[in-house]
Amino acid sequence: MDSLNPPAYDAEEDLLRHQKQYSQMDKLIIPIEMRQQPVSTGTTIVAVEYDGGVILGADTRTSAGSFVVNRFTDKLTPLTEHIYCLRSGSAADTQAISQIVQYQLEFLSAEMNEPPLVKIAANCVRRMIYQYRDDFVAGMIVAGWDKKLGGQVYSCPLGGLLVRQSVSLGGSGSTYIWGFLDNNFKPNMTKQECLDLVLKAITLAITRDGSSGGCVRLAVIDAKGVQRIDVLGNELPKVYDL
Amino acid sequence: MGDDIMNYNGGVALAMKGKECVAIACDKRYGVQNRTIATNFTKIFEYGPHCYVAFCGLATDVQTVAERLKFRTNLYELREQRKLKPNVLYNMLTNLLYEKRFGPYFIFALVIGLDPKTGETFVYDSDNIGAISDNVNLATVGTASEYIFGLGELLFKPDMTPDELFEATSQSLLNGFDRDSASGWGAVVYVIEKDKVTIRELKARQD
Repeated sequence: MDSLNPPAYDAEEDLLRHQKQYSQMDKLIIPIEMRQQPVSTGTTIVAVEYDGGVILGADTRTSAGSFVVNRFTDKLTPLTEHIYCLRSGSAADTQAISQIVQYQLEFLSAEMNEPPLVKIAANCVRRMIYQYRDDFVAGMIVAGWDKKLGGQVYSCPLGGLLVRQSVSLGGSGSTYIWGFLDNNFKPNMTKQECLDLVLKAITLAITRDGSSGGCVRLAVIDAKGVQRIDVLGNELPKVYDL
Repeated sequence: MGDDIMNYNGGVALAMKGKECVAIACDKRYGVQNRTIATNFTKIFEYGPHCYVAFCGLATDVQTVAERLKFRTNLYELREQRKLKPNVLYNMLTNLLYEKRFGPYFIFALVIGLDPKTGETFVYDSDNIGAISDNVNLATVGTASEYIFGLGELLFKPDMTPDELFEATSQSLLNGFDRDSASGWGAVVYVIEKDKVTIRELKARQD
C-alpha cells in the first residue's frame, strides 16, 4: 500500500493524471516547476427534475492541479434552446464534445423541422463519449425540456453509459452530497423548493471539496425557456462553521 | 493535486514587517488532497512573548516539528533562565531541520520576532532542510506562496503602522489563496507590537 499515492478517490482526476503524464523525454527537459497539470473542471454538478421542468446547478471553479485557472467558469453549456449540458472532467474534452453535439443537434432540428428531444441530445453526447472512451475523460449530464416527455435529466458518465434519472450528480464534489440529496429529494417539488435544494447541495460540496469553489450557477429550464441565475459567494446559504 | 508531498495537506502562511511591528498570518484548512477535513488547523506557534513561527507543508510534520522545537526552547529557557530572542529561535530551528538533511521533514518555516526594547523587527524564512535567509521584509510559504508573493510585493510599503500592516497582510493572503484549491477556508492574522499582540480571525470564502 503506497501511502503517498492513496487509492483513487476520483476516477476522472486519476484517469486524467495518467493519460496526460509527460513522456520520458519531457521529464528530462522541462523543469519540475513548469510541468503543468491538465486543466480539469474538478467540480460539482447537479441536475434535478421538478414539477414542470428541470433545474441545473454547478460550481464555478476550473483547476489545473491545485492552481485555480478560472474562478467564475460557466459549466452550464447550451446544446439547444431548451437543452443544456453540465460538464465535468477534462475541460478540453467536454468543450469539444458540447461544440460537436451542438452542431449535430442544429443539423438534426433543420432536418426534422422541430426542436430535438432531450433523449436524442443525451444520446449524441453518449455516443461521442463511448466512441472515444479510451481517450476522453468526460462526465456529462444532459438536462432539458421537450414537448413529448417534459423535463428530463440524463446522465452520461465516463465510459459511455446513458441513463435517465430524476436526480443526477457528477464531479469530484458530488461524493460529499449523495447522502444529502438522497435524504432531501422528493418527486414533484415546486420550483422554489428545488432551487433551494440544489443551491444548498452545491454549497455543501464547495465547502468540503478542494476542486469545487467560487459561486453557484443555476439554470431553470421549462416550457417557457431557460432562466439563468448566478448566486455569488456572499449570497450562498450559510453552512455550519466547521 | 497529483502526488506531490508538499501539496498533500495544503496550507499557506505569510509574514510582513512594519514600523516596530510584524504580522504573521496563515490559513486554517486541514485537508487530504481534495477533501477538506477541518477548518480550525492554524499553523502558527508561539515560542516567546514576541517570537512566532509558522510551518507549512505535511500536517504531521507541522505538528512534530512544532513540538520538537518547543522541547528545545523549553530546555534553553530552563538553562539560560531567560526568554528566547528571535534570531536564536531561528538558528535553533534551522539546526533542527538540517539534522534531518538526508531524510527531511516536509515543511517550510517562517520565523518572526520583535525586540521589545529597541523595536527591531525580524522576519526569516527557511526551506525544509534549514537554509538560512536574510532578515527580509516579506516572506511566504505554502502551496499558494507564489500567488501571495505577487500581491505582497505590491501592497508592501516600508514603515507601515500596525493597522496598515494588518490590511496589507490580510488582503495579500485572502486574495492569494483564492487562486489555490489547497488552502483557504478561513484565516488568522497575528500583529505583534512592542506592548501587545493582536490576533484577528478573518472571514474568508469557504471554498
